[in-house]
Parts: sequence; C-alpha cells; structure tokens
Amino acid sequence: MLRVENIKHSFKTGNEWTTVLHNINFTVNKGEMVALLGSSGSGKSTMLNLMAGLMKPTEGHIYIADHDIVQMGENKLAEFRRKHIGFIFQAYELITSLTVRENVELPLVFQSISPSVRKQKALALLEQVGIPDKADLFPSQLSGGQQQRVSIARSLITEPSVIFADEPTGNLDTKTEEEIIAILLKLNQSLKTTFIVVTHELEVAEQMQRTFSLRDGYLINNQQPPADAESAEGGAG
Amino acid sequence: MKIRDISRMAWDQVKRRKVVTGLCMTGISIGCAAIIVALSIGQSAQTYVTDQVNQNFKMDEITVTPGGGIPSRGGGGGGSGESNENLDPGKLTAQKLEIIKSLNHVVAAAPFEDAGYMQMLTVDNKIADVQVKATDLRMLTEFGFKFKQGGVTDLPGMVVLNYGATLGLIDNETRQKLYEQLGADPFNSALMDQYNSMSTLPSEMYRQQVQLQATDYSTSEGNIRLSSALQVGGILSTAEGTDDLRASYEKIMYVSLETAAQLTQQLSFGTNNGMTPNVEENSYKTVTVKVDSTDNIKSVEAIIQKLNLNAMDNLYQQEMLKEQFDMIKMAALGIGVFILIIASISIIVAMTMSTHQRRRQIGIMKVLGANMGQIRNMFITEAALLGLLGGLLGVLFSYLIIMGLNKLVGTAGDSLNFVIPLTTIPVGLAFAIMTGVLSGIYPAISASRTDALTAIKRD
Repeated sequence: MLRVENIKHSFKTGNEWTTVLHNINFTVNKGEMVALLGSSGSGKSTMLNLMAGLMKPTEGHIYIADHDIVQMGENKLAEFRRKHIGFIFQAYELITSLTVRENVELPLVFQSISPSVRKQKALALLEQVGIPDKADLFPSQLSGGQQQRVSIARSLITEPSVIFADEPTGNLDTKTEEEIIAILLKLNQSLKTTFIVVTHELEVAEQMQRTFSLRDGYLINNQQPPADAESAEGGAG
Repeated sequence: MKIRDISRMAWDQVKRRKVVTGLCMTGISIGCAAIIVALSIGQSAQTYVTDQVNQNFKMDEITVTPGGGIPSRGGGGGGSGESNENLDPGKLTAQKLEIIKSLNHVVAAAPFEDAGYMQMLTVDNKIADVQVKATDLRMLTEFGFKFKQGGVTDLPGMVVLNYGATLGLIDNETRQKLYEQLGADPFNSALMDQYNSMSTLPSEMYRQQVQLQATDYSTSEGNIRLSSALQVGGILSTAEGTDDLRASYEKIMYVSLETAAQLTQQLSFGTNNGMTPNVEENSYKTVTVKVDSTDNIKSVEAIIQKLNLNAMDNLYQQEMLKEQFDMIKMAALGIGVFILIIASISIIVAMTMSTHQRRRQIGIMKVLGANMGQIRNMFITEAALLGLLGGLLGVLFSYLIIMGLNKLVGTAGDSLNFVIPLTTIPVGLAFAIMTGVLSGIYPAISASRTDALTAIKRD
C-alpha cells in the first residue's frame, strides 16, 4: 500500500546542509493502522509531509498504491491527493465560513461531485463519527473534539487509500483524546482504510497495530508487519 | 470543480469580507458610473444637437442648382432674355424638374427661389422684414410643412407666411425709436427685454392684406416701390420645440412663381441688387428635392448630376457631427477606463491582502486536493463578482448622477435632457467585470502558487 524507499532529506541553512532524515525504509500494508512515533525534532513531521507529497525528498522514493509520488508534478500530486490521500490535522483546519457538512463535503467539491451525492456521503460520515446533529453548525460552534470528528469525516469522504493523521489528539484533553483514538480505530476496522498516525505520545502509538519510531532522523524501530500481510522491507537509519 | 460551487464559494467570501468588498465595489462603481454617465451625456448631447441640426437642415432633402460649364442665364446669374439649352446644358429647366419629380424615391420636387429680403407692410402700417421665397405653393405640404391656419392655394396674389412672419410686427415709428434707443444704449437690459417681447408679439395675419416694399439703396434718395396687394392665404406651423423668440428670427413669405414674376416686374429697379425679386419662368436657380429616405439620397443625387445639375445634401452635417461626437465618446470612454484602471489598483491591493490573509485556507484546500487552476478560478470568480457588484452599484450611481444633471439643466431652462441609453449599461457592466477579472489575475496566480506546506505550518 505505502512503501518508503531509501528516503533521505536535507535542507540548507546558510552554507551548511543539515540532514533531517537518513535512509528511511518501511512499508505499510493496506488496511493497517500504524504510528510514526517521535519526539520534537525527530523528523516525524518531515516524514509525514514527504509521504503526503507536500515536499520532495532529497533522495529516495515513496510509493502509494504503486504510484511514485516523488516523480509527480504539483497538479498531478493535487489530483493524486484528491483521490488517494486523506488528512487529519492537529488543529483540525476547518474552513470557518463553511458549515460542518460543507467542510466535510469540501474534498468532493474539488472532484466536481454533484451536491446531492456530496450531501448524502457527508451526512453518513457525520453519523459514523457521532455528530449527525451538528451538520448545519459552523466550526466555531463546536468543541475541539467535535471539530476533530469533522476533520476525520472530511478525511474519509473521498474514500482514500491512506489517511495521514498529524498529532490528531495533540490539542485535546485526555478524555477526548481517547474518544478520537477510539473513533479512528473503529473506522480502521470498519472501513479497512490505512491510517498513519504521527504522534509523540507513546500511549497513542501503543494502540496502533505497528509503530515506527524516529529519533534524530533515523528509524530506530521498524516492527515487521503481520505475517499474513504483504511482504515488507524494513530499514533502520 | 463545478461553476456553481466556485460561484458559491466566491459569493461566501464576498459576503464575509465586507471591508474588502466595500472598497473594491466603491472603486469599480465610480469607474463604471463614469463610463455610463460619459457615454450617456455624449449620446444625449448628440441626439440634442442632431435634432437641432435636423430642424435647420433637412437631411432628406437635396438642393439642386444649375450645373457648371457655359454660364447659365437661368442659373446663378439670373437676368432675363433668351436662353438656348443646347448651349447651356447645365440650366435647371421646368423639363428637368419634371424628370426629377418622376425619379424613384423622390417624394416631392419644387423650386424654392430665394427672392430676397423685403419689408412687409400690413394695412395698419405694421412692418417686418421678410425673406421672400418663390415656390409651387401646392407642394408645401409635400415638403412636410403644416398649416396652422388656412391651406394650400395657388390663386394669384395669395401668399403663405411662416409662423415667424406673424410675430414682431410693429409700426415703423415705434421700430425706429426702439432701434435708436438700442443703438444709444446697447447694454440696457430693460430695452432688450422690451425688444424681445415686441419681437414675439403675435399679429393676426390670416386673410389679411399685405404689401411688399422694395428700396433702391443704389441711389442716395433711396427710392421705394410698393407691390400690389397680396392676401395671406395660410400660416404655417413652427417646428416642434421651437419657441416664439426663435421662430421670430426667421420670417418667410412663400409666394407662387407667377406672383414672384409679377413682383419682379413691380419692384425691380432695373439693377439686380439682390433686394428685389428676380424670378424667371420655366428656369430655376434652386430646386429642392425631398427623398423618401436618407439612405436613397446619394443614389438620387447621382441621377440628378447626370442631368448636368449640381446636387447638394445636408448629410455632411450629420457625418461631421458623428465624427465630432465619436471623438467626444472616445474621450469620455477614455476617462472612464482611466478611472477603472485606478479602481483596479484598489482591487489588486485588496485582493492581494485578502490572499495573504487566506493563505492558510488556500493551503488547506491544496492539501485536500485543490489544484492550482481551481484555486486560481476561485479568486478570479471572486474578482469578477466584485466587478459585477461594483458595476451594478455604478449603474445605480449613474442614474442618480443623470437625475442630478437633469435637475441642474432643468433649472438652467435648457431643453437638453440627459438619458441613459440601455445599451450603455451592458457596456459599463462589461468594463466593470473586465476590470474585476483583470485585477484579480495577479492575486489569483499568487494564491494558486501558495506553497501548501508553508501555508499550513503553525509557528
């Protein structure tokens, strides 16, 4: 499903090059829910941005559904993201001028899907994330947990191959955090969607099927996928 | 992305960002109003002046005069005596007049010989200077003249007066006195008012007897001759919209060609000093031809010229005016466009600011799958919408401005009335939308190039 091959990423500060990711290799199978664990500065956010196609690695390849996203141009990547990638942000990132339902529908708007189909799908997903009654409210009228549920529903509406969740519980209290993780686990089970959750919290990572740990740009723990899954390669930096 | 979705999102932004919307709309509305008002003023002034010109120069008429070549006795020079058409092919004869009358598209053709200016005397010794024109009186209605009183007559000694000739008839003594007073004190407004009111004083002239008086200025004695009595058989109406004062400036007496010949005999001093009638029978100095449409003027003229005659129309007046007004319109349009360019700067600034404020939102949309074209289209649609709203406000402004102008002109007592031709509204709106779209291009491109990652990063 997702294959990361020999990823190295550096950036220039002044006259010096700093490498933030060193020869990262891992594979995530279809329907898996994995954690990318690391403390601040470990390179986990950079890794997420590379996997989402928001930036290009200095070296290496990233395959999602057998497409090398590193080779894609901006518009091709946009189209690819639209069809194959879902995003859950730490700060929810909802459009404040749109209602909850309209926010959930937004990715489908970019795919020119008809309003009736969009509405039907959005309402079904809001039901799944437990806020069917909030469809016509605006984000500012919701709590943090509820906003994150909207963000989850939005990430699922295009039925993507993989969903990247960037610190999805980072802005939430413990109780809400548990609720959100429970929702993600439930959706992973029911929809068989692949989830990659970036977190710095061990408690969150422990609830995932596998964890990749990053430290100072090196992959220090690459748990092998379950035996019945696709073959996987590991690689530590 | 569907147009409906793009439009709805653009509309949401326009509603949401009231200050930006207000600023942009104000700029565009001023430019749009400037274009509409300028075009409307140009158009209204053109209509007004064209009407005025049409009143003085009939566009559907051709003035025919004898052709060039060997000097014509009957044409231009006048005089009496034998004439040989073989030697004088340019002569405007009765036979040629008949040919002209039979031409296609010719509604009427008749001689309108200018017999000069003379004094008209009434039985109660009132006097007025009139221009005497010899024509076929039966043809007057064919040329569009309408009778206020009386009607067509061809009895000998019958004359037709235009309405102006019935105004300002005063006795010679009063007239001389007033002239002397005005000569001594030309800037006396009271005297001027008195003169104007006397100039428009109406007299009942229908069925009255009048005489024409010619003075021989070539001699120091200033010999005077009086014609036989003439009877006023009809009074013509004035052109629509002409007031009495203006009508009083043009006093015309129409006489038949036979009457004109009699007057020539009665009033001629033997020398042609231009102040006595000099009309020859069966040969004319000027014939006026009325054509069914201005479109056919040139073709009729071409045929007339083949008769060795000169043909002149008044269309050049219209063409000249059209050229002048086209220039005025272009200048007005230029001013409007200049204002719109200034307005577009405000849109570029406001929308660029808006782009920066919405960088995060653009970033999120890009992460959610919006491509560069979709982001660009969203911003351009928003700019076009601002242009449209500004344009609509501009249309409203232009109506208010035109209303104000009409009140101002109305107070000044002028009959000029400004109207907004419906065709100028789409022109104004098109310019407004175009300004919006053009001004939105840079912010839209800038927005579409926003780096998604940089935009969504939180410090």
